[in-house]
Amino acid sequence: MDRQEENKIIQDFTSKEYKEGFVTDVEQEYVPKGLNEEIIRMISARKQEPQWLLDFRLDAFRRWQRMPMPEWGHLDMPDIDFQDIIYYAAPKKVADRPKEIDPELAKTFEKLGIPLHEREALAGVVAVDAVFDSVSVATTFRKTLAEKGIIFCSFSEAVREHGDLVRKYLASVVPVGDNYFAALNSAVFSDGSFCYIPKGVRCPMELSSYFRINASGTGQFERTLIVADEGSYVSYMEGCTAPMRDENQLHAAVVEIVVEKDADVKYSTVQNWYPGDAQGRGGILNLVTKRGICKGSGSHLSWTQVETGSAITWKYPSTILKGDYSSSEFYSVAVTNNYQQADTGTKMIHLGRGTKSRIVSKGISAGHSQNSYRGLVQINPGATGARNHSQCDSLLIGSLCGAHTFPDIRNANPTAVVEHEATTSKISEDQLFYCNQRGIGPEDAVGLIVNGYAQEVLSMLPMEFAVEARKLLQVSLEGSVG
Amino acid sequence: MKDYGHYIETPIPEDAYVVGAGQTLDLTFVVLPGESKDITVRVFLVGEGAQARLRGLYLCPDQEQVRFHLEMHHRAPGCTSDQLFKGIVGGTARAWFDGRIVVAPEAQQTEAYQSNHNILLTEGAKVETKPQLEIYADDVKCSHGATIGRLDEEEQFYMRSRGIPESEARVLQMISFISEVVAGIPDEKEREEVAARAEAAIRGMA
Repeated sequence: MDRQEENKIIQDFTSKEYKEGFVTDVEQEYVPKGLNEEIIRMISARKQEPQWLLDFRLDAFRRWQRMPMPEWGHLDMPDIDFQDIIYYAAPKKVADRPKEIDPELAKTFEKLGIPLHEREALAGVVAVDAVFDSVSVATTFRKTLAEKGIIFCSFSEAVREHGDLVRKYLASVVPVGDNYFAALNSAVFSDGSFCYIPKGVRCPMELSSYFRINASGTGQFERTLIVADEGSYVSYMEGCTAPMRDENQLHAAVVEIVVEKDADVKYSTVQNWYPGDAQGRGGILNLVTKRGICKGSGSHLSWTQVETGSAITWKYPSTILKGDYSSSEFYSVAVTNNYQQADTGTKMIHLGRGTKSRIVSKGISAGHSQNSYRGLVQINPGATGARNHSQCDSLLIGSLCGAHTFPDIRNANPTAVVEHEATTSKISEDQLFYCNQRGIGPEDAVGLIVNGYAQEVLSMLPMEFAVEARKLLQVSLEGSVG
Repeated sequence: MKDYGHYIETPIPEDAYVVGAGQTLDLTFVVLPGESKDITVRVFLVGEGAQARLRGLYLCPDQEQVRFHLEMHHRAPGCTSDQLFKGIVGGTARAWFDGRIVVAPEAQQTEAYQSNHNILLTEGAKVETKPQLEIYADDVKCSHGATIGRLDEEEQFYMRSRGIPESEARVLQMISFISEVVAGIPDEKEREEVAARAEAAIRGMA
């Protein structure tokens, strides 16, 4: 295949439209545009929050004002005017929730394929907390979960009904002043999910939250807090979409996960925010802080992410391995196309004895995109016998994109072993030729090869997500044969 | 403006090694015990088919501070670069390895490799390694690898069970660890000299 032909196919492939790009006409309730203490008080009042949470927000806001915008990412970040964003937008009829879901909203979620109604119980055993702009609209399967003592509800509800638990764990993993966007989130976060798995309970179904930014000019700032008590298990999934808009919309979430002794948490994300159009206009700025702590001995936390959306992704799901013999994994596939930029990776901080971590990252860049892996593996002096293995591969499709690897490996313990390897290459012409020769078109061949390339990560996803992720990979890369 | 995304072509500094078409650059760095060094090397491959081979070894058993800062810029098609750096760090010594490979959009058919391997001998020693790849061309083969580990206990057991004392076993392990670097030195006389001095230094460390 000559280069010209390749380029043509790349162009067709990359010009594929974003299928989740519909806007739902729902009456929205906003707080005014802008960010100041008044707005924060207003959000807090609207959500009828206790004083401690308002104080928490105000403290975060004051810290945020003193912090500089981080610039170390390998990203061309547009200037964000924080006064030009609506920080709280909620579908009206708040009073009716959660008894009844607005039919328009229900339709939106149906379009997205989320089983909101309990009748879907037969189709998929997944409990969903759906967050639409700033509020959580429905949480399914409450009863089934409650029987086991599992709390799975919107963050606002958790604050009202399980205030002590929330207060105990909130900001215990990601401190208020951790970074610029975590501080911003702490000040203005609107809703999110809260999940508590009691001692020794194995959550009988996948828990899932679905985020969607709908209203124009708004940002989404959700907060997720997952606490897995001793010996419990939960698998948590997160999905995201947004309508097509010309402007950049801001998404700054915080996810905190606390894993107690012998507990096991599996956290999966399929991120498909609107990536902007083929000329790089619009798209979501996805600036997210995700961190878990393996607090007790023998605890385990696994991150799996498939990142195909957003104009800019800035995200480093991290684990602090504090408990002895705790372990963590990070599996990631990040696809960038057109003018998308991704700077994503993980941090593994080994504190406890015999801690283990594994990193598998697969980056795929096409079009004019830039895709970076950035990771830190740190072995502290006390982490006797710690072990890490990292593998970061990059695949380049087309000659105008970039793929970068920025690992940082620090070891201060002579009994620990840390290994890192990375490769960068383009899609093999031999493989393409082999497929073409057998009647598989160039596009399908790329899809096939990329899926094979990402297989190691995709196989870690829960089944419901794996199917969606596979399709997403294909769609995001449409037109990018190299 | 060329559509190179993030790629910014930085000017070539005066102290850089500039390698032209068909030329080969071959450099060896040896840091012996007692030396604290801050070594910066910038290589620019600017002509088609240019080659660079960099290798280094650092032995830091005491309280040395050794810092490598390497940049390998591929700016022409068909160039190859290969970097191999190995270090043994003990006492309260520190070693930093900061290596960057940058492949410009026009540097198609690039092959670039970089490895950095380290052995930690003691509790107080620390190693930090940052091998980085920045790639803006697609027809490339690039890889890097980095490890920080210890002397393998199974190997030691094997040797000790055959009557080799523990300290001698450690010496043999360390010599074999760095031998890959030494073996790459093209000039025979230099190679033998480096091998002899490195062995003497290692015997002093064990």
